[in-house]
Amino acid sequence: MKTQYTDVVTEYLREVDLRLAGLPVLQRRELLADLAAHIETERVERGLVGEAELIEVLERLGSPEVVARAAYEEAGPLPPIAAPPSPPVAMAPPPRDRAPWVLPVIGAGLVAMLIMMALCAGLFFFARSGNSPAEPMRMAPQESAEPVAPPAPTPSFTG
Amino acid sequence: MSDVGQLATSLRRGTLEFCVLAMVEFEDRYGTEIVRRFGDEPGLAASEGTIYPLLSRLRRVGWLDSKWAESPSGPPRRYYGLTAAGRAALEHFRTEWVSFRQTVDRLVGTGEAA
Repeated sequence: MKTQYTDVVTEYLREVDLRLAGLPVLQRRELLADLAAHIETERVERGLVGEAELIEVLERLGSPEVVARAAYEEAGPLPPIAAPPSPPVAMAPPPRDRAPWVLPVIGAGLVAMLIMMALCAGLFFFARSGNSPAEPMRMAPQESAEPVAPPAPTPSFTG
Repeated sequence: MSDVGQLATSLRRGTLEFCVLAMVEFEDRYGTEIVRRFGDEPGLAASEGTIYPLLSRLRRVGWLDSKWAESPSGPPRRYYGLTAAGRAALEHFRTEWVSFRQTVDRLVGTGEAA
């Protein structure tokens, strides 16, 4: 049967998957599904019969490193809470494009920014609602320009 | 990475995605079809597998949409098509690209009239 061919495919997809730990899970699943469909389409439509031919398909796709790097580049800035910290892979950890501390730091920065924005909005709303219609109170510039910056919350999800 | 590879990467950035959009401008195409097409063009894509993350991003920004459909000969195919926003982006690129190319040709001396 085709087990001996799918072995090399399974291994390839697993190697790609191992390198996608920092991606949102749906993007990760999507890419693996696309790659699997591509390989299967090539196998069926080109009538590939041997493992060597299948390896050629994989070589044209590119090494797992190259494919994963493209996935990270196209993912763009990742959302603040991208993924739970992935457990370190015991054997042969894949090279990572980002240092492990980058995501928590970006996440903490975004959280701090959101809190600041919420504070500004609240301040603005409060100032507006406190106005009498006849004599609008001007907001003190230094107050609006410099809201008290909350201390950046320490991320609890350091990876 | 060699300088040659670096240059190719730099040139691809920002242009390859519009080649993808142009490929599905008039008819929907499935992933493998798009990838094969790029495989035939030397130096356009780094490797075939890098096209899929690109397709994913173009879908996420709303320039492409995709739908799975049965295939007569193999596994289900994921067909990609241009959205209205993608069409507008492609038209915008065409305008920008012509003037960009003319400027570079003039400065680098690669234009026909240079």
